[in-house]
Amino acid sequence: MNNEAMNKEKWVLLFKEIGLDEATMIRWHKEFETRYPEGHQSFLEWLNIGESEIRQIRTM
Amino acid sequence: MQMFTIGQLARRYSLSRSTLIYYDSIGVLKPSGRSESNYRLYSEDDLKKMDRIQLYRSTGLSLDSIELLLKTQSSDLSSTLEGRLFAINNEIEKLRDQQTVILKILENEILEKKTRVITKDVWVSILRAAGLDESGMKNWHVEFEKNSPDAHQDFLESIGIEKNEIAAIREWSRPAI
Repeated sequence: MNNEAMNKEKWVLLFKEIGLDEATMIRWHKEFETRYPEGHQSFLEWLNIGESEIRQIRTM
Repeated sequence: MQMFTIGQLARRYSLSRSTLIYYDSIGVLKPSGRSESNYRLYSEDDLKKMDRIQLYRSTGLSLDSIELLLKTQSSDLSSTLEGRLFAINNEIEKLRDQQTVILKILENEILEKKTRVITKDVWVSILRAAGLDESGMKNWHVEFEKNSPDAHQDFLESIGIEKNEIAAIREWSRPAI
């Protein structure tokens, strides 16, 4: 899957626009990590987020 | 006639003494003479034989084949070497097969990594767990389509949704004109 059109900022913006607040987003990451750790990883990679930041997000 | 000791021979051919003793024991290269104190002594002819042994060794022939070759006419050389060539080709083929298998495994691993798919069901369940309801998700698609249509398509493909369904989702995500 190549991804040039999407990045972290756009993704966050998207979530904000549909009314998800910071707390919900954090909850969302936690759910993602608990249920599908590998999927979480590849999703974050898809957003072109750097390795260290991915680690940070996954251990939130 | 000049004779050579086992030590001289070993140095000359960069072999160990034990190798030469082994050659003697299996009959590949027996020294023509012995000294008074029963040390092995090699003649000029032995050296010529050793030259041939070295040459054959460098082609990877087994000591058995070499021994046979030394005993028979030199016209057998080409057929023996052809046999060796055949064996080398077989080896190469085997190695190439192994290479292909390894490459396939590596490719699959990379592919698997790339397609550790988050399926549609996974997405929906996570979004739901984060508190997004049906209308929230609809809203999300609408925003996604509005802000980044290409990424929307890419994203829907990545979670394994069929072409028709993607088209349908994107259709209702666009504002009616």
